[in-house]
Amino acid sequence: MGIPAPRPDLATTEAPTTPAAARPKRTNDAIRELLSKWGLLIGLAALPVYFGIHDLTGSQGDLSRLGENMVRGLSNGSIWALIAIGYTLVYGIIELINFAHGDVFMIGAFTAFSFTGTIGLTLVTGPLGLVFGLFLTLIITMMVTGSLNVMIERVAYRPLRGAPKLAPLITAVGFSFILQNVGLLWRGGSQKSVPDLIKHNDEVVNLLGVPINNGDVLAIGVTIPLVIVLTAFITRSKVGKAMRATAQDPDAARLQGINVDTTISLTFLIGGMMAGAAGLIYALYQTSVSFNMGFQAGLIAFTAAVMGGIGNLKGAVLGGLVIGVIQELADNRIGGQWVSAVVFGYLIMIMIFRPQGLIGEQTREAG
Amino acid sequence: MVGSLLGTLAIGVTACGSDSSSNTTASTPAGTTSTASGSASGTVDVYSSLPLQGASKDQTNAMVDGIKLALKEAGNKAGGVSIKYQSLDDSTAQAGNWDEQQVGANARKVAQDKKSVALIGEFNSGATKVSLPILNEVGIAQISPANTYVGLTTSEPGSEKGEPAIYYPSQKRTYARIVPRDTVQGGALVTQMKTDGCKAVAMANDKDTYGAGLTRVIGIKAKEQGLNIIGDTGIQPDAANFRGFASKLKGQKADCFFFGGVTANGAIQLYKDVNDALPNAKLYGGDGVCESGFTNPKKDGIPAKVGKLFKCTVATLDLASYPGGKAFIDAFNKEYNDPKPDPYAIYGYEAMKLVIDTIKGAGPDGTSREGFLKALFATKDRDSVLGKYSIDKNGDTTLTDYGLYDVGPDGNPTYASTIKAAG
Repeated sequence: MGIPAPRPDLATTEAPTTPAAARPKRTNDAIRELLSKWGLLIGLAALPVYFGIHDLTGSQGDLSRLGENMVRGLSNGSIWALIAIGYTLVYGIIELINFAHGDVFMIGAFTAFSFTGTIGLTLVTGPLGLVFGLFLTLIITMMVTGSLNVMIERVAYRPLRGAPKLAPLITAVGFSFILQNVGLLWRGGSQKSVPDLIKHNDEVVNLLGVPINNGDVLAIGVTIPLVIVLTAFITRSKVGKAMRATAQDPDAARLQGINVDTTISLTFLIGGMMAGAAGLIYALYQTSVSFNMGFQAGLIAFTAAVMGGIGNLKGAVLGGLVIGVIQELADNRIGGQWVSAVVFGYLIMIMIFRPQGLIGEQTREAG
Repeated sequence: MVGSLLGTLAIGVTACGSDSSSNTTASTPAGTTSTASGSASGTVDVYSSLPLQGASKDQTNAMVDGIKLALKEAGNKAGGVSIKYQSLDDSTAQAGNWDEQQVGANARKVAQDKKSVALIGEFNSGATKVSLPILNEVGIAQISPANTYVGLTTSEPGSEKGEPAIYYPSQKRTYARIVPRDTVQGGALVTQMKTDGCKAVAMANDKDTYGAGLTRVIGIKAKEQGLNIIGDTGIQPDAANFRGFASKLKGQKADCFFFGGVTANGAIQLYKDVNDALPNAKLYGGDGVCESGFTNPKKDGIPAKVGKLFKCTVATLDLASYPGGKAFIDAFNKEYNDPKPDPYAIYGYEAMKLVIDTIKGAGPDGTSREGFLKALFATKDRDSVLGKYSIDKNGDTTLTDYGLYDVGPDGNPTYASTIKAAG
């Protein structure tokens, strides 16, 4: 057995750089730099631009179909965004992927569905009664899911604060199954149709051939104010600052007199409340609920949080909206069976170009 | 291989455990004997494996009631043979539907029971794909009261490569069904859509064995009968909605829509979304969605406005129209205090009647697995509550009638007429 001869390809790679060899390397670097700077944008815009050109040059002749895709996508995406906020807040503060969060959202949807029936909201309820009833449902649902999330944190995560990271992760998976079974016992195993209280498909306004429906107004109209209020709360309030301090360094925060346990509970409360709001919007917008909807929704929302930059509030919202649009484009233009493949293909592309997510992660490691 | 060993072992143990005072036959299940007079005696075990939870539970529980009624009427006996029946659930609460692991566990339980001669089931064709090879290896008869997928019994168009041979490792047929296969249902649906004036039919399927198989057959039958199918899309059953897909159908100007799949696989959301995009399109479904959990708004099924446009097919007809239908309804009502049993109840009833009559008809071999199978495949011109039928060499029934159902005032599927496939 002699020393093996170097492989020609490796030998070429490891050869001292000559001016002749340096030229292509510089070109590669330039391409790589260009790609890292603009590749993500090009990738994100590829589908809408392609379909836009296709519509303009094809029998469609205008961009109304693309516009409709974008509106429906943003509406769907705003629901994912609200769920993603819960994932990102919790991950940011205790670095836990809260697998039970999708199921808290499911319980929110079931609570909203049941409560609207309990207070007698039907298809013939007048606009005033409907607005009041739905507002009351929103408050109740947010209280239920917020309290549920705090309870989960108190019972399942807090006792494991000092345990290896895998312990709370498994506990989260366990709680996810418990909540699924609660949903199963509560409303049964099959998909349930929710009365179309808001007449989600009725057109409110038509913008350049793009219909904006009741469902879109509800989804975007509830999400935007909630996100603005939440952002203001976290950036400006004393409690919000405590949350950010705890996220950055819990020990230092404790030395500054911040009650870390209370701050973490508050984070779970806010995340749970957002999931509850998402549950109500989902039930009214999609008009059907099922006990296992939390798994798929949780997966998508967690993907949104990673896509936007885990731990980053704005990133979670942006990730949710981007996924909503990609899903809609894939469903409408490519085929329903390809939706997951396209969404996760985009996630991989974003991770390659920007491993820290679209806006950048805000975790202890990332700073 | 393991199954073969188990089967051999079971047969061996059986012979050892037989009553030495009588004329036993080889491979008679343990605890059974055959008398010198030519009729068998002893005990056999018969199982059913059906999804008793989830969207199909109304149908499957009615089937179990039908099975029990047939058994009670016979005094739990087939001639001199006592029948011990056990109902197994092939679904899990978690899945809300049949579950592959549960189906396999049920089949293994039946295969390992030395006294078992027959399994009534499965309800879902995909589930039968799992249980059939396990039971086939040990020679236990399987009688399905609901499977319609073509490839389980034939290699006709609509089946997949290698079917049905892949389900019969022993190379002997052990499976029979008392409902017509999808070749018949698909043809009947195409005939109905043509009658209703459909010009452009859009289809979707849930990518499951039954759903994808049925739309494949409809596509073939539509070509034969000259019906325009504009597409067949496999949906992601757990998607939040199908509005992008429905909007695409609107662009394609579909005037009729068919979904091949079961309620649990996103059917309610899908039909609602298609109706939103195409408010005047006629909606059709197969037996997988022809059930009250899907059609009845009071059970959180599709809204009444969608139900008005919906028609579906099931192998069952109006119960009262069957030869013994009225007597069956009376008996069912007396036993369960239910004057309007689910149409599937009569299929459970007939499946158990077939088991009882097969044991009786096989004479001294009725209690052995081989004897039972031989008698089952010899079923000819049987007078039953479903009408006169035979079991052919593939295990298919010779019945061909399909019932067309619409949504009645009470929200439940209501028998409208009998349809026969053209061509």
